[in-house]
Amino acid sequence: MRARWKEPALVVTIAIAGLWITFNLLAFAFAESPAATLSRAIAGTWGTPYGIGQVLFKATPLIFTGYAFHVAQRSGLFNIGAEGQLAAASLCGAAFAANLKDSIPAPIAIPLALLVAAGVGALVAAPPAIMRARLGVHEVISGIMMNRIVDVLVPFTLATLLGASSMRTADVKPAAVLPRLDRAFSALTGSAASLAFPLAIAAVVGLHFWLQRSRGGRELGWIGMNVGACRAEGVDVRRRLTQAMLLSGAFAGLGMSATVLGYKGYFEIGLGSGAGFAGVAVALLGRGHPVGILLAAVFFGTLEQAGLAINARVPKEAMTVLEAVAIVLVSAASRFAKTSEARS
Amino acid sequence: MARRAHPVSRKGPKIEVDNATRLCGDRVIVVAVDAASVTFGPGEIHAVVGENGAGKSTLLKLCAGVMEPTSGTVRIAGTPLAPATVAEAARRNVLMVYQHFMLVGAFTALENLLLGNEAVLSGGRLDLARARRDVEALAKRTGLTVPLDAITDTLGVGDKQRLELLRVLHRGAEALLLDEPTAVLTPLEANDLYATLRALADEGRTVVVVTHRLDEVVRFADRVTVMRRGKIVLSRALDRGAGIAVPELTRAIMGHEAPPAFAPPDVREEAASALSVEGLTFTDAGGRTWLDGVDLSVKQGEIVGVAGVEGNGQRELVHAIAGLLPRATGAVRVGGRALPFDANEARAVRSRRKVLRVVHEDRQAEGLMLDAPVSDNLVLGALLEIPPGEEEKTVERRIASFGIVPSDPSRRAAELSGGNQQKIVVARALDAFFASGAPAGGAVVLAQPTRGVDVGAAAAIHAAIGRAAEAGLGVLVVSADLSELRTICHRLLVMHKGRIVAEMAPSAPEEKIGRAMLGLEAA
Repeated sequence: MRARWKEPALVVTIAIAGLWITFNLLAFAFAESPAATLSRAIAGTWGTPYGIGQVLFKATPLIFTGYAFHVAQRSGLFNIGAEGQLAAASLCGAAFAANLKDSIPAPIAIPLALLVAAGVGALVAAPPAIMRARLGVHEVISGIMMNRIVDVLVPFTLATLLGASSMRTADVKPAAVLPRLDRAFSALTGSAASLAFPLAIAAVVGLHFWLQRSRGGRELGWIGMNVGACRAEGVDVRRRLTQAMLLSGAFAGLGMSATVLGYKGYFEIGLGSGAGFAGVAVALLGRGHPVGILLAAVFFGTLEQAGLAINARVPKEAMTVLEAVAIVLVSAASRFAKTSEARS
Repeated sequence: MARRAHPVSRKGPKIEVDNATRLCGDRVIVVAVDAASVTFGPGEIHAVVGENGAGKSTLLKLCAGVMEPTSGTVRIAGTPLAPATVAEAARRNVLMVYQHFMLVGAFTALENLLLGNEAVLSGGRLDLARARRDVEALAKRTGLTVPLDAITDTLGVGDKQRLELLRVLHRGAEALLLDEPTAVLTPLEANDLYATLRALADEGRTVVVVTHRLDEVVRFADRVTVMRRGKIVLSRALDRGAGIAVPELTRAIMGHEAPPAFAPPDVREEAASALSVEGLTFTDAGGRTWLDGVDLSVKQGEIVGVAGVEGNGQRELVHAIAGLLPRATGAVRVGGRALPFDANEARAVRSRRKVLRVVHEDRQAEGLMLDAPVSDNLVLGALLEIPPGEEEKTVERRIASFGIVPSDPSRRAAELSGGNQQKIVVARALDAFFASGAPAGGAVVLAQPTRGVDVGAAAAIHAAIGRAAEAGLGVLVVSADLSELRTICHRLLVMHKGRIVAEMAPSAPEEKIGRAMLGLEAA
């Protein structure tokens, strides 16, 4: 048997080496010492409990959007629309949670708010899903279109329907707020990591098992592998494709648990923006494995948080450059690892 | 830069393969060619035969620079082929005709001929007039006539094959390597092709042909090389008349005696109809009529073959019966019950599954999930039909009763040989009927059940077909392999341009069937 770790190990080695070189070049470009910049970045992230909490907080929406992308990808679909799905879910989930009755207790209020968010995420994913399954319209085109529509609809809804003058919703009811993790681990005090993080992990594990074990989940993955064979054997391809896209949208929508319910307590324009697109990168970096996607999300969270830590000397966009380099390196390196293995 | 059309009767180069080994594979490394040494000389037709995966195509690719030997050398006219690239081999006038047509469908035949070897005027303009003169002269000399201005998609397979030959000759080929050139041809077209190859060899060219058909070897080749598991087990001249007989070749190919000949089980004369098709018609969205009122019926326990040149509606016939063509009209009945054409294909297929199972012709596109484990492939589409908890048992039974090797259900389907992949598809279709008892009047349709499959796997699949017939199922087999149909069927139907044009006994002369396939003869 060929060692299963060989290929990933090679990929990681190449990626780290490439990232390190890029990091050095970036630091030099701003006349900074790479070592000092790195130590500042580490101090701001994994160096302190607060930093760790911030990393986990930044990673949480990415876990949701990353796995959301993965679910669609399994069936062969490319869900580019997580950005819009998350924004709409954040707005509607926040507005709903703000208008809950005061008497509703947290064990009911939180699931209800999440349900609304997931439902709205799925709703935004529905037009691309249906158009793809019924008419064959490519989901990337319609997904981008939905992103633009949501872009406009969110401020419109805030200003016109909700009558908000400050481009934010009212505060959600206290019962719907997800508790911060610092209530259990006092070391994390001050960081925005909330129950949304363990919730994200639980959701990924649950969905992973559904994909592996259930009829629906397995057929969904089979369609991604060979839609022709599935059609010939009577798998309901249209229905499964629609399901995959709706599920992806719902999962992306749940990302609002970290930003709205766990952090701000309300929705404002721009909250959580970028997480939808970053989810695509997270899923690609995680290479379709739940643990890989978790690690990739934490890695991206680390870079985002590190960007803030070094911002005084080196612009935080340097970390965005590193994100992009990571994707390119991993794609190229995994290809390289495959071919070199075949040669050896 | 255009190479000038070369003069006639230049001697072809001698190609020497010297102790060449080639490893292939992504995750699983396979020795495709194992320390092979062979010489292809000028002026003769050299046939290379062997089971699927024996390394025939790989050997050819090593000679044509498509692949580089992992160790050992390939010499062309005494000089090693280095670098081992297609361009270098072409520079030395060694060109290969691939198993699948490498033609741009939307181009005219002439454009395909010139692709990559264009005659140009100053400023990069195409010199079509000169190219046409060259090609026409070449066609006249070799007798390879192709309608040069026809759109390639509209050409028949025989024309396409001639076009491929003409293309490599136009590029100055003095050594021609052909990978299964007759796989899609009718017997008549194959005869023509070999007549052309003979003429080319007589002019001094080196001609190497990979084929599965041993009768061709005996009839047309000067020399034969047999490969088994990457090794060359036999390579020698064939004396016309007193040459090697087919059984001897079969032994060399398989390494043991051929399996007992297949004999279809008897059909009861009064057996009821299992599958009947009436007035089946299908016109695609582009207005092309693929099926033009097909009528056929298969009795319970009967094996009926559909012969024909590919592209005459066989694929559409199978798809329509399977319920995958909602636009088809006419009637399909199994066991007397009409099967609907539903706009929802999934519903149409599922409503058929209890009484009708279909194996489609292209196992890669319509049969298997290559990256999924064998176990998933064996239960695709059947998750609702297998009782909970029985899945593992079902998978094991299917692997065992169809002899799928390796028997590890967690292997990816892509890692299996073509024969074993085909066994998966056939097992998935037939096992449910075998295990639960065949439904009265049920039917099975198999398209190209043994295409690209070695002799051993083909025998196993034929045995399963026989078993299906014995169980009382009606079996319809669509195949491009006439000798297969003549062996396993009770009755032969010939399809041409979307119609059944002839019905014959499988013992009918091959020439007669071949003429019907070309639409020259109606019964």
